[in-house]
Amino acid sequence: MAVRTLTKGLLGLRQLRTATIGYSCGGHQYATAATVKTPQPQTDDVTEKILNLPLEKPDYFCVSELFSLKDLFDARVHLGHKKGCRHRLMEPYLYGCRLDQDIIDLDQTVEHLQQALNFTAHVAYRGGIILFVNRRRQFVHLVESTARDCGEYAHTRYWQGGLLTNAHIQYSPGVRLPDLIIFLSTLNNVFQQHVGIRDAAKMNIPTVGVVDSNCNPCLVTYPVPGNDDTPAAMELYCRLFKMTITRAKDKRRQMEIVHSLSPPSTPSS
Amino acid sequence: MAALCSVVSRSRCGFRSASCRFIRSSFSSDSSGGSGSDQADADRPRYGFAAAFDLQSELRREADQGASSSGRDESFASLLRRSPLIQMGPAKDKVVVGRIFHVVQDDLYIDFGGKFHCVCRRPAEGGDKLQRGTRVRLRLQDLELTSRFLGAKTDTTLLEAQAVLLGPMEGRDGRENQNQDRMNRPLNPSTVKTEDL
Repeated sequence: MAVRTLTKGLLGLRQLRTATIGYSCGGHQYATAATVKTPQPQTDDVTEKILNLPLEKPDYFCVSELFSLKDLFDARVHLGHKKGCRHRLMEPYLYGCRLDQDIIDLDQTVEHLQQALNFTAHVAYRGGIILFVNRRRQFVHLVESTARDCGEYAHTRYWQGGLLTNAHIQYSPGVRLPDLIIFLSTLNNVFQQHVGIRDAAKMNIPTVGVVDSNCNPCLVTYPVPGNDDTPAAMELYCRLFKMTITRAKDKRRQMEIVHSLSPPSTPSS
Repeated sequence: MAALCSVVSRSRCGFRSASCRFIRSSFSSDSSGGSGSDQADADRPRYGFAAAFDLQSELRREADQGASSSGRDESFASLLRRSPLIQMGPAKDKVVVGRIFHVVQDDLYIDFGGKFHCVCRRPAEGGDKLQRGTRVRLRLQDLELTSRFLGAKTDTTLLEAQAVLLGPMEGRDGRENQNQDRMNRPLNPSTVKTEDL
């Protein structure tokens, strides 16, 4: 059972995690029911307002404006592998098969990508840790520089078995695990499903994953059916995730500035 | 020239505004003459060159608007149907143009717009011209090299396409040959011209 120990020293200033968090799906199950109350009720009010405001609109961060179907088409996102490589569970996401090559349905991809980007934006807005995972050696540099540019983390090397499940022994006891893992390719170097997908599901960490026609989309929380082999498509995904995360973080900074400027006499501003 | 036009147009404005507008519109537009007769232009019917010009600009504007709006609303099905990959048909023995994006000594990694790139060996003759960024002609064999082995559930894929390198693009090849010939030809003092130097 996943029990998160909240050690103050290692967590830093993350009082948000003790407030009521309303994740839509794949939320963290806290075994401890008692929440630590912050000392100043005024700050709690303002923090709660900042946290609840984006939840009122379906697309608060306007992620649907970041890309269009034509952009996905030009980046060759609709091209899948050959018919013989197809995974049975990817069949609902395929538009068809043309001369033995699978074509991914971009209408479904647009919807899934919007949901994935929206979720990423909400996680980044609430100060969550995002981990980019990719085991394709061709795109290691791209993924690592994307993660560095948006201030998040990347793991593109060999995945040790107990990285998530045995973290409290392999690292220090109070280590904080990522709040979202983004798989830019869900396969490892031997065409098997990446261990991180199963481990993240075990640790109740939501995942966003780009699934090609030979991948298993089962355990991924927000699958995005699309091509993960062409450099153009990978650059598009990295650019979109970077823009979403940067936009969400800027929005958070802006909200904090706006609400902290309100006079202390009126707590509900 | 423009001042003369305006004097002419102002003097004849009352009587033959149609003909003076024709003279004015055939030369470059003059602001002083234009402001005076612009209100008259809007009311009167256009003749000759002015009418043709207005009609053509209207048609072009509508065509541009139609193209831009239809590009945004095009469905995935129509985009796919009109894409070069689908229009090409089976990939066997089709000639395409690719671009070299990576070079490892004798191996050229060429991207031709499909899902995967292809790797070709540098040819013995003319291989020095093929560097990163060169456009080349290829004859495709397969878009993705896959095969089902005994005892396997799914195909094993090489994550590569297969193509035969035909050579660099024709236009660039011709121009480069010309330049090289000019440089290699020994400069004969009797034939050299001043503009060549």
